[in-house]
Amino acid sequence: MRIRFFHGLRAMLSFVFALVFAVQVQAATLIDIYGPGQNQIKLSLASPLTGPEQEAKGLGAELHQEIDKNLKFLPFMNLVPPAAILGGTVLSGWQSEGIDFRRFQIAGADLVVTAYWPAGDSENSTVELRVFETFSGKFVFGNAYAGVTKQEVANVADRFCDDLMYALTGGRGFFSSTVAFVKGDGQKRDVWLVRPTGRDLRQVTDLPGTALSPSWSPDGRYIVFSHRDDRTYALGVWNRLDNKVTRIRFPGNTVIGPCFLPDNRVAVSLSTGRYPDIFLLDRQFKRERALEQSSAINVSPSFDATGTKMAFTSSRLGGPQVFLKDLNTGVVTRVSKEGPYNSEPCISPDGTLIAYTKGTPQGFRIFVYDMVTGFDQQVSYGPGNDEQPAFAPDSYFVAFTSTRSGKQQIYLTTRHGGPARHMPTGPGVASFPRWGK
Amino acid sequence: MKSLKTLAMVAVLGLGLAMGAGCAKNADELAPAPVAAPAVSTKAISKALTKNVVYFDFNKYDIKAEYRDMLQGMADTLKQYPSIVVLIAGNCDERGTEEYNQALGERRARAVYDYLVRLGVPAEQLDVISFGEDRPAVKGSNEEAWAKNRRDNFTIMAY
Repeated sequence: MRIRFFHGLRAMLSFVFALVFAVQVQAATLIDIYGPGQNQIKLSLASPLTGPEQEAKGLGAELHQEIDKNLKFLPFMNLVPPAAILGGTVLSGWQSEGIDFRRFQIAGADLVVTAYWPAGDSENSTVELRVFETFSGKFVFGNAYAGVTKQEVANVADRFCDDLMYALTGGRGFFSSTVAFVKGDGQKRDVWLVRPTGRDLRQVTDLPGTALSPSWSPDGRYIVFSHRDDRTYALGVWNRLDNKVTRIRFPGNTVIGPCFLPDNRVAVSLSTGRYPDIFLLDRQFKRERALEQSSAINVSPSFDATGTKMAFTSSRLGGPQVFLKDLNTGVVTRVSKEGPYNSEPCISPDGTLIAYTKGTPQGFRIFVYDMVTGFDQQVSYGPGNDEQPAFAPDSYFVAFTSTRSGKQQIYLTTRHGGPARHMPTGPGVASFPRWGK
Repeated sequence: MKSLKTLAMVAVLGLGLAMGAGCAKNADELAPAPVAAPAVSTKAISKALTKNVVYFDFNKYDIKAEYRDMLQGMADTLKQYPSIVVLIAGNCDERGTEEYNQALGERRARAVYDYLVRLGVPAEQLDVISFGEDRPAVKGSNEEAWAKNRRDNFTIMAY
């Protein structure tokens, strides 16, 4: 009871601090990561302080390291090396009046982050993190995090980086997401979870057979997946509350590519006797009605945040192609217009883009289709095969799998493409990345 | 059911011995053979049926004419031994995306399932599954390996 009260108090304190301290979080974005040109920004991390020119070397140093590690995942962010700051990064203050902005200007930094631990940086301390523009000295964004412990340092870094990304770009979700994915090869594969930065790696299913195509419920309570043993398919349902898996069979056996809709219902391809078609399940995971049925293969449904647009793969024209269905009108339009093999669509949560896998003479590559302009853009370049794209909640990052290193692994790129970054998932083959809470 | 199983075992034993000894031996020579244990009979009939494989072209699931005689033979056997249940497994080569390949494997399995049902095999004797690209018969990333992996293979689930 006492512990519960303490945690409640701590959460409340953190909230109060955030309310009092956070300023201009929703100010005009400093960097447009969604526009056609991908801008760059240079950021410097000042040394954490417990007082003027007193460097924090306990939790402060650890938090500094975690933030540094996190920010390196942002392709639009260039971190200025501490050695490039003339006079060093140990400052005499943590607010604008105590910061010598010139040393950061000379190094080319656009922004500087300060960290202040008013009561020292031992267990259960508070840290104040602030961001300033170096050329104007303007305060951009700040937040205080109370009750920081050694176990929570990485979480505080994630919360700050998520808030920072929102303040700078208007988008959030990368650092607060958990990615479900499939780990293993061949006949024994299970669902695992990991933060996009590689932290908190853990296994959530351990079933004999093969788990495929996980999908998070929007409320983060369930993961559904396709499960196959030597004889049967089933819809696997993992419940976060009791950490148990239920295996649900369907007539016709086959269960392919389940996907949650925004209203927490599931769409999945089930066999109807001839071709797998896409069905909507009710909240008890029973077949409710067909969402797409034709004399062809229909698989891999993906939905926008409104649940009214469904992208899917269909063989109705011969080979697999990507289509978009307006679930209000029933109108189906073809999305992929070039190439004989296009599949695995994933609609961005903001409903403007569809990432999909295209077969090219060099192997499979990830393309992004702009539903506003109708243009396609290649965002992955191999080598090997790049497949299974998945948009992050911010509609900016795209996770995908690639065999570029030999075995299949998960990589991160953005809606604009650019160099792919490996998502750490531990040893073994990793596939089917899916973003969730 | 038990008598059917016994009948099937005896018949399969006969089939197995005939295969092993060649065509020179006649039924009288086989008659004194002791009744085999069930495991031996199952193995024999499994071997006879599971050696069949139907191969497909890339991204196709239509059954080529060259497999019709083989499937007719399977249908005859299955109709003769109604206690046998066969799992038809559809497989794809490594090219292609996983979810689509699961669906394509299902179509390949269902193509043979439908054909056998049209030949008179009761649906209760047949089951289908797709293994997509997960269970290749041959390792390799060349046309020769891919051609051997785009297939339906058969497993005996009950006898």
